[in-house]
Amino acid sequence: MAPIGKRMRMVWEFAWPGAPARLWPGGEHEAAGASVCDSSTENEVFAAFYARSSRPLWAYLARASADPALADDLMQESYVRFLCAAGAPSLTTDGEAAARLYLFRIGSNLLRDHWRRPRAASIEEIPEEFFASRGPEQQSDSQILLEPALRQMKPRERQLLWLAHAEGYSHREIAQVMGLGAASIRLLLFRARRKIAGLLRASGATNADRRIP
Amino acid sequence: MKLASCGHEKEVRKLIASGQWPAASPPELRAHVSRCRACGDLVLVSEVFRQARAESVAAARPVSPALLMWRAQLRRRNTAVERLGRPLLGAQIFAFMVVAVAALCFLGFEARSGAEWLTLGYWRDGFAQLPQIAVLQWEKLSSGASVDAGWGGIVLASAFASLVLLGSVAVYLATDKS
Repeated sequence: MAPIGKRMRMVWEFAWPGAPARLWPGGEHEAAGASVCDSSTENEVFAAFYARSSRPLWAYLARASADPALADDLMQESYVRFLCAAGAPSLTTDGEAAARLYLFRIGSNLLRDHWRRPRAASIEEIPEEFFASRGPEQQSDSQILLEPALRQMKPRERQLLWLAHAEGYSHREIAQVMGLGAASIRLLLFRARRKIAGLLRASGATNADRRIP
Repeated sequence: MKLASCGHEKEVRKLIASGQWPAASPPELRAHVSRCRACGDLVLVSEVFRQARAESVAAARPVSPALLMWRAQLRRRNTAVERLGRPLLGAQIFAFMVVAVAALCFLGFEARSGAEWLTLGYWRDGFAQLPQIAVLQWEKLSSGASVDAGWGGIVLASAFASLVLLGSVAVYLATDKS
């Protein structure tokens, strides 16, 4: 089976104007029938990978950006870029872990680009969920505790904490995803963890005080 | 801030990752975690984040993978078309520059040799006389007589200009189509 990077290298067959373009994966000497078989198998491989990785990726993007609508867009863009990238790891030869790391890296880069872009959001662009204030009965414990604390963290700290404690990535893997030096991750993560732990404890204490009649 | 790591951190991390904290942890370790700030932070943050991950993963609504594959295919196709178009645009710019240089050389040569047709008065008079000349030439043509050399030049120039114009349009349409 061809690697996923090669899979998307399409070859155009000559077609008369008006005829639908036929795209075959693989090289130009590949037999058309074999290509169709490979293509369907590889599509299945990708679909399985997508089923396993899309929800964690969305969770990461949504929590790091604090915007579920933006997370939807960035997640789709991450997969499109993953499929188009010539240097993307192959699902079959490099393994799913490498592909997942690469995907998270694309997502992190997209988040960084989004934060760098200076823009004034109009009121129409802000998602409905932003205004819908949920009652305490609709919020889980983690939301009550975590959301206010995350809001006080820097974007990079949110990313670091999520990758380390929600995804369980090692320092080396976090360095790969975020494009930082592996040596600096340990210190950055230690500082971020100490900061958020303090915020969580303070938030927990405040919530406990409120519950006292 | 001083980096104060703890020797038990690795063990605690391992138990959290395997989902065995605190059930499968020894009582000494639990007692240590309640005293150690670094380990306490690790346990608190990990538990909150793992719970948040479970909730966010359940809340995700991913689109169909087929849609993403189609979008990727479309993007690759557009990139390939753009890549193909780049040398074509270069050739067009090069051709335009060659024609422009040739036209400038020709005009420079004519101006040096003192050509009358480069003066404004020549064209003003020519255009003023154009209707009369056209009628005269048409009468000559219909009577079977040969047309003047000057008039023939105008016809030739017009035909050439039309050909260039049509050719440019055809080239544009062909490149646009491809």
